Amino acid sequence: MPDLLVMTLILAGGVAGSWALRRAWRAKAADKPRWRALGWTTIIVTLLWPAWVMGSVRGPFIGVTLLSVAAMVVVAAGVQVRAARAGRTGNGSLAPEPVERPTTRWRTTLRWLLAGPIGMITAMAVGICYAVWVPGEPQTRLIIGALIVPAVWGGAMAWTLADARILRATAVLVGTALAGFGISILKGFT
Amino acid sequence: MTVPSSSRPRKDLLARIPADFVRAVLKGHSALGLAFAAAIYLVCLTGSLAVFAHEFQRWELAGTPRVGSLSVDAMQRAMAEAVRRGGTGVEHVYLTPPGADLPLATVFVESKSGESSWLADGEGRLVARAEAPWTEFLTRLHINLHLPQTWGIFLVGLTGVALLSSVISGVLAHPRILRDAFHLRLGGPRRLQEADLHNRIGVWGLPFHLLLSLTGAVLGLTTLIVGVLGMALFQGDTAKVYALFIAEEPKEDPRPAPVIDLPPMFAQVGRLAPGGRVSLVMLEHPTEMGGAALFNVERGGGDLADTDSFAFARGGRLYHSKRAADNNLGESILGSIGKLHFGWFGGGPVKIAYALLGLGLTYLAAGGVTIWLARRRDKRNPAPGLERLWAATLWGQPVALAGAALTALAAPAAGTAPPLATWAAVTLVGLASAARFSPRSIARVGRGLTGVLLALTAAVHAGVVGGSDPASWTVDGVLALSGAAFLLSLRARTAAAREPLAA
Repeated sequence: MPDLLVMTLILAGGVAGSWALRRAWRAKAADKPRWRALGWTTIIVTLLWPAWVMGSVRGPFIGVTLLSVAAMVVVAAGVQVRAARAGRTGNGSLAPEPVERPTTRWRTTLRWLLAGPIGMITAMAVGICYAVWVPGEPQTRLIIGALIVPAVWGGAMAWTLADARILRATAVLVGTALAGFGISILKGFT
Repeated sequence: MTVPSSSRPRKDLLARIPADFVRAVLKGHSALGLAFAAAIYLVCLTGSLAVFAHEFQRWELAGTPRVGSLSVDAMQRAMAEAVRRGGTGVEHVYLTPPGADLPLATVFVESKSGESSWLADGEGRLVARAEAPWTEFLTRLHINLHLPQTWGIFLVGLTGVALLSSVISGVLAHPRILRDAFHLRLGGPRRLQEADLHNRIGVWGLPFHLLLSLTGAVLGLTTLIVGVLGMALFQGDTAKVYALFIAEEPKEDPRPAPVIDLPPMFAQVGRLAPGGRVSLVMLEHPTEMGGAALFNVERGGGDLADTDSFAFARGGRLYHSKRAADNNLGESILGSIGKLHFGWFGGGPVKIAYALLGLGLTYLAAGGVTIWLARRRDKRNPAPGLERLWAATLWGQPVALAGAALTALAAPAAGTAPPLATWAAVTLVGLASAARFSPRSIARVGRGLTGVLLALTAAVHAGVVGGSDPASWTVDGVLALSGAAFLLSLRARTAAAREPLAA
């Protein structure tokens, strides 16, 4: 099947699935489950079937990319244009106010050190620990270890910038880094 | 009286997250967004455009001959001539045969006297310099911000980590993000409109945002990760890490020799990978006895990592052979990361989807700060200086990039210096304008200038460079339309401002 046709069908499936989910979102409680089921089924099928036509890796990645575009088209189609000076109805869907917490210069400095270099070192330790200890081909262990680094660093960044108990975050990150590097060097890469 | 559990309205997973936790995560999300917003905005904006790097290259080289295919003899001729022009001490030659995406035959030479890049015609004659300064400027801005390579790439990798972290905290900080997944209200209070756009783009582009930020962070942090791996596990020898993934370097033998002979190697490649397409030939020291040639051969099929590689010593001895079909999981992931990051795995439609989703991500970075500023205004604690600075940051970049494209077009032989100087100057002037003008004025001028510069770039290119490449005409058309859209948006905004109820 030509790629262009497959991609058109993926887009159509994405629009159909998102539209069904939108119906579920707008429907009364009794009707929600069947629209939701139809929407998710369509989306899952749309993500999976290209694997048989375009390749087991390429197909789903093309599917997920085009699906995002299709869903945004459905969302845009349901846009509600309001008068510029309309009241503030709908403010309930705004995010809540961020927490206000007292802070000092050293706490702020420590927080950003944790989010930055200390988080990075901890993430390196976790990635290397994975590469050393998890069985498998060396290339696979190294690449998955490398993917773990930004994922753990990103998670650590989100956590340390949010957590009010900064000493707890410090202890966990430093402890994880020491333990991770320690047990990695203990075994070595084989 | 307690409500029976069956009749209680079910909350979705995110809505069950405790409110205090949400507010704490939102604090971190805001801090991270504010710290990295400008970097994320710039990297995402340039990345969205860099998806079309090949199309821009074709656009800049539209006046040169298109090459459908290149015979082995023509490749040998092109390579030998490029080596001759490269002068003494040629270290590496990269020969890229034409492909469907890029119907150009290019030869890049690295020698002790410098670097040069050439375009070959179908006969293998070098007909022009392969200079595409705008493409080079744009991709370098995205990859290393034109800073020294190691630091620049690390900073972009760090930006990728910050983006990934923002995506994670963004989902946790917005408990209604799934419940409101289809709400899109434009007009009305600014904060609500921006929040709707921010959250809708955020939730429906989520897989793309995770993929882009993770792959971008890995690509940016590779040098650092490999360095630490080498230090911790291989006694500081990073070469041992690289040796697990790439062909070993040939044995040094600096005695002079005639230019390496490719046709016998092509014959072997044809037998080793029948039906494959040679996508790159990399030569090591082609005029030394220790010379070698590495062939990358695309095999097609459904895997993203579909490239075989074969390396030959000067005499034609095969000393490295790696087939994509034998890849383990790690090698397959490594071979896929670049394609997944740049959207180069599904032709034009996927590139367009990547550009649209990338622009959505760019808007996400921009909108996050706008929401923060609007929240301050709502709380009667406005930050007018920051509002102006943010408007200048946002609107300075489209103007700076459009100006850089026009400059590159005006002086194609001068390399990346003119577009870089234009970009830097416009960015600085834009930021300086924040000291004097209101955000609304800055946005208006930014829109207007971007529109004019884009339209001018398209007109100058069509008039001066021309060419018959459909990709080039498409780029001209998109530039002209985008310019017109920017100018029309200006008019629409003026009309809206006259409306009695408009903001």
